[in-house]
Amino acid sequence: MTTNTVAPPSRRRKKSLIQRFLAGPLPWITPMLILILAIVLWPVYEMGRTSVLEISGSGVTKGFAGLENYRELFDNPNLLGAISRTFFWVVTVVAITIFISLFLAQLLNAKFPGRRFVRYALIVPWAASVIMTATSFRWMLDGYYGILNRILLDLGLVEEAIDWMGSAETSLPWLIIVAVFVSLPFTTFVILAGLQTVPGEVYEAAKVDGASARKTYFSITFPLLKTSLFIATVINLINVFNQFPIIWVMTGGGPGYTTDTTTTLMYKLAFRSQEIGQSAALSVVNFGIILIFVLIYIRATGFGKKED
Amino acid sequence: MAKISLRRGAALALTGLLAAGTLAGCAADATTDTGGTTDNGSSASAESTTIRVVAAQYTDDMQPYYDDLVMRFEADNPNINVEVEVVSWNDIDQKIKTMVQTNDLPDIGNLNYFSSFAADGLLYTADELLPAATLDDMVETFIENSKYEGTAYAVPDLASARLFFYNKDIFDAAGLTKADIVTWDGVRAAAEKIKASVPGVTPLALPLGPEEAQAEFLIWAASNNGGYYNNGAWDITSAANVETLEYLQGLVADGLTNPSPATFNRTDGAFALFAQGQVGMLNGAIFLPSVLEEQGSTINYDIAPFPTNRADGTSITLGVQDYFFGFKNEGETNKAAVQAFMSFLFEADNYAGFLEAAGGFLPATKSAGEAMSSDEALAPYIAVLPNAVFYPGAEASWPAVQGETQQTIGLAVAKGADIMSILEGIASKAE
Repeated sequence: MTTNTVAPPSRRRKKSLIQRFLAGPLPWITPMLILILAIVLWPVYEMGRTSVLEISGSGVTKGFAGLENYRELFDNPNLLGAISRTFFWVVTVVAITIFISLFLAQLLNAKFPGRRFVRYALIVPWAASVIMTATSFRWMLDGYYGILNRILLDLGLVEEAIDWMGSAETSLPWLIIVAVFVSLPFTTFVILAGLQTVPGEVYEAAKVDGASARKTYFSITFPLLKTSLFIATVINLINVFNQFPIIWVMTGGGPGYTTDTTTTLMYKLAFRSQEIGQSAALSVVNFGIILIFVLIYIRATGFGKKED
Repeated sequence: MAKISLRRGAALALTGLLAAGTLAGCAADATTDTGGTTDNGSSASAESTTIRVVAAQYTDDMQPYYDDLVMRFEADNPNINVEVEVVSWNDIDQKIKTMVQTNDLPDIGNLNYFSSFAADGLLYTADELLPAATLDDMVETFIENSKYEGTAYAVPDLASARLFFYNKDIFDAAGLTKADIVTWDGVRAAAEKIKASVPGVTPLALPLGPEEAQAEFLIWAASNNGGYYNNGAWDITSAANVETLEYLQGLVADGLTNPSPATFNRTDGAFALFAQGQVGMLNGAIFLPSVLEEQGSTINYDIAPFPTNRADGTSITLGVQDYFFGFKNEGETNKAAVQAFMSFLFEADNYAGFLEAAGGFLPATKSAGEAMSSDEALAPYIAVLPNAVFYPGAEASWPAVQGETQQTIGLAVAKGADIMSILEGIASKAE
């Protein structure tokens, strides 16, 4: 044993450093590492650095500001509203999306004539640019020209035109509907992919045992969908949290700051209020929140632990 | 640092391209490119400079105008290359600010404010931009508005003024005339009449959406002796401003305006609706007629002075001027080129071309003003200019105040809004 373990190192010593480097995993992952460093870690570093700099309204760096930007940010009267709205927005949109997607995926997994076309049709909101979708909705909901008001008025459901985007009470629900609409295709297809991995024998066995459809779903299908649901939820959480175009196009976070999430508030701080440092501080906070989201979820689902 | 390496990279790439060009037999092209200095024996020692201009897209005619201007300028000044980028109004503010932030400064900027750049010491003074003779020809008020702490750091490129517009057909139907809308009380009475006799139309359009809320508010406030800035100090929470917003709040509450002013923008809201004959009256601008024409509007309209609530009955206009300013670069090596290009642009013929391309604005120079005073469409605006109020554009915190006003002032006219706290929020941005 001892001779065996001693001998190889002596041979290895003869290999040059370069040879050893080339034989290891590093040459294969170096391009990826460089990519990650350049396009992920470097911006994160820049973001953090900007958040502790004093930057004038015109964009000139005036020097180190310490935590001044963060202090100003936490004094900002619009921050608390934006944070609680963001949580409400993310939880609502993701929950509704997952719920509807479960039904849609089940539907698309069933065999019926024309299924292929229904599957194609579901891709449309995904394939269309989000800006385009949001713009269409914005004008469909317009108080003066919107088709929705026309329909409601013609059907006699409302007395006079409603300015849907005029106040947060009416615009926030619509923002959520549009966000769900654009999130559905991806989520549905992830769940559909999950459904298709459930082996047919399991269902046959359940049938033989006389399990009801309901029992089959909750005891077999749903538990086996755990991984797909996990992926769909985490990716949606991140997407919806970072969702900018829908809110920006439809309400611009307005009126005032009443439909802002932390993402749109970040943009407004930089480009409307000329507070670049504060905006960078908020993006660091956003980054922290998204990390927490992901960590909580990973813990809750036990994902990342070794599977049995 | 990044800038230098980028430039060097670009130079290397260019050299590579040129070399390739030569190899491919395009030697003639290559020598003309690099030959500027050799042809011109006298200035052989002078290095050729490139200046970058970021210009505002007043209309689609701006790019052709600059293409022609630059071609003629470069013919006269073979050592100076000019790269003009014409950027839409939606993006230009962010574009220039990003350039400043990444230390990739343009040489000449064209924007509706300049003071925050001046405050950071980035700009040449107006004296450095243009010869004294040209500066003397500028309208004094405009030069006054180009000053930061007593020194002019920008030059006006053009200006606009605003007046009240009304739809004559709607006024006829409601039995109203121009004489009925001289005062605020008159406007309220007129709006009530329109609401009663011409159902379905919006009596008064009140676009306090983010696009142009800072102007809409200032027009109403100044008509009541209010505003952002009075006698050398910020005065945002004044009683006059509160009274103004209360008046507007009353109009909104009685359904005399569009229902949600805070989300109603000028271009796609007020102007579009007016173009369709759905609005009785609104605060318009010198360029509204061209907007109406562009939209193929056939409405029958007229202009009037802004309704006033001032005790002496005087009516104001809002003057808005835009600026050209020159960014210093390290060692100020671009100074001569910037000066040459600015002077060239303000030569009488070139400046007349600029105004024509921009379409329907007021000139910044007296000579051009005289030449255009016979223009019937501009005459009423030139006439009201002596009573013009301006943004406090010389204050370094104006952009932040403007940004906050655009976001929140619309909320102040909503039912039950806390006017004072909104004004205080805006005032907190003024330093």
